[in-house]
Amino acid sequence: MHPLLAGRLRSALYFGLWLGMGVALATLLVLLEPRPIWHAVVFVGPLTAIYASICLSAWYVCRSHPLGTTEPARLIVGLAISALQASVIWVGIGGLWALALSRFAHIGPDRAGILRDLGVLFVAAVVLYGQSIAVHYVLLAFESARVAERRVLESQVTAREAELRALRAQINPHFLFNSLNSISALAGSQPENARRMCQLLGDFLRLSLALGARERVAFAEELALAERYLAIEQVRFGARLGVETEIEPGARACLVPPLLIQPLIENAVKHGVADRVEGGVVRIEAQRKEGALVIGVENPRDPEAPPRRGQGLGLQNVRQRLQALDPQHSRVDVFSGPEHFRVRVTLPAVEAERSAAAEAEPARPAAAPAAERAVSGAAGPATGRRPIERHAG
Amino acid sequence: MPADTRALRVMIVDDESPARSLLREYLAAEPGVEVAGECTNGFEAVKAIGEHTPDLVLLDVQMPKLDGFEVLELLERPPAVVFVTAYDEYALKAFEVHAVDYVLKPVSRERLAEALAHARARLAGEGNAPSAPSAASLAASARAPGQFVERILVKDGAKVHVIPVQRLDWIEAQDDYAAIHSEGRMHLKPRPLAEVSAGLDPDRFVRIHRSYVLNIERLARIEPLAKDSRVAILHDGRQLPVSRAGFARLKELL
Repeated sequence: MHPLLAGRLRSALYFGLWLGMGVALATLLVLLEPRPIWHAVVFVGPLTAIYASICLSAWYVCRSHPLGTTEPARLIVGLAISALQASVIWVGIGGLWALALSRFAHIGPDRAGILRDLGVLFVAAVVLYGQSIAVHYVLLAFESARVAERRVLESQVTAREAELRALRAQINPHFLFNSLNSISALAGSQPENARRMCQLLGDFLRLSLALGARERVAFAEELALAERYLAIEQVRFGARLGVETEIEPGARACLVPPLLIQPLIENAVKHGVADRVEGGVVRIEAQRKEGALVIGVENPRDPEAPPRRGQGLGLQNVRQRLQALDPQHSRVDVFSGPEHFRVRVTLPAVEAERSAAAEAEPARPAAAPAAERAVSGAAGPATGRRPIERHAG
Repeated sequence: MPADTRALRVMIVDDESPARSLLREYLAAEPGVEVAGECTNGFEAVKAIGEHTPDLVLLDVQMPKLDGFEVLELLERPPAVVFVTAYDEYALKAFEVHAVDYVLKPVSRERLAEALAHARARLAGEGNAPSAPSAASLAASARAPGQFVERILVKDGAKVHVIPVQRLDWIEAQDDYAAIHSEGRMHLKPRPLAEVSAGLDPDRFVRIHRSYVLNIERLARIEPLAKDSRVAILHDGRQLPVSRAGFARLKELL
């Protein structure tokens, strides 16, 4: 499709410009050889409309002679030939029209006058065709710029998607190594617990692979994964890791990007438990509020712990993913107190279709009616008196 | 030194109970090995290793309060060390602080036995070996470029003071000791000034004099004292000498 005919506005603009050209041409003819203005208009009007159409052919000429890559000699010759062709055809038509007018309507000058008119038309034809070529080259440049821009955007989106897929599929290898070490320890003295741990680890891996492959998952599934993860970490850390969950039933069916809160929970265990002698409680809560799903993950922190490298990575990951999905309706808030660290993720509460919601909770028996609240692992000061004091600032 | 007749006394340092019990189980089956104790964090380890002087420590890297490398840095006469960790990225650093071996979790019985054999060989040969460079200087050299020390540790009897670098005012050389001034208190660390200041961020801590390293956030102004000598006035009014080279370094930074 010719770009100038692609929209009504563009076509109107194009032919409007030609109307102006026609008027100018008619005026020129009247000035060169005095005659009634309507004679000139009758002569030039139809011809201008025809030439407006002929000049559209410049689009194909320009496309077959791209500016950057065509040799200058070929370019000039090619353009000149097409301009001459167009002009000769038009002037030919003009000659026939002038003859017809003078024979049947007795309008127009004598033979010599017609020849002069045709000469003027030829000069105008070459100039106008040249202008048309210039306009089409500008159009081509605009078009290729737009295509290039879209291509860049598309490749950015593809790259972002690939990155997100990779992030989603990521399972912390150190978590695996430490879990395997725990299983190895339990195998000697507590074989039953070793088996349970294998089961948990298997469930965790299967779930995270399954969830990571999907676009959206029910929050209940995300929670099921977090529960497996925390159960495994409780074997490692014993009484140091306490877990509290408070999940509003309505929140469970909401859809979230898969493995969204997993990095937050891993961070909470690392900073709230693993880096603290006395351990701590990791708290997960979720509510629906005014069309939004609000998820909170909280852990205690050591006020004197230095900021560690890589600490913001999990958080950054969550932010980027929400940013890519729905920047207007989702947000991540961080509350960093001296004793506690809390991350609150807000995203639109969208429920799955009926069927999907039903399969969202495969392993879970009918849940408790009211806001479900679970507490596990005593996180009291298990170590008692600290043998070595710290420098208190 | 443990001869063939004496048992190898091994201490286990790990904050995870299953990890400790696995090592304990493996060690119990090894002939000529005695478990000298178990610690669950870095502070305990510094104290217990000082008291019980084990021949070998099986040391986890990531622990609450002090990591394995910081424990090692605080020990005056560090025993042989085998790092036991799930992280492989500390291996290079471990050998730079002269660890005997570096065992990855999950730990196998054979791999641990191998590490014990290495430790025995190291301990048997140690009498005539030249003394190793101090762990602290090696820890500093093993630090990746662009990474700086975030806290300074000082052992004071049974206590360990942890001084975050932002609370550090200045450090003064006192013979073989570094006097670390922080929030109106002074802590003596039995290491030369150059070694203590080696890992500090040079954009924040400047050697203003042969014997002084200053946290530039504490600097209020510099005044001339005599020809070619100046004095740095701190926010609390205290004055420290500034050498010519030190002034050049300061000027470059400010």
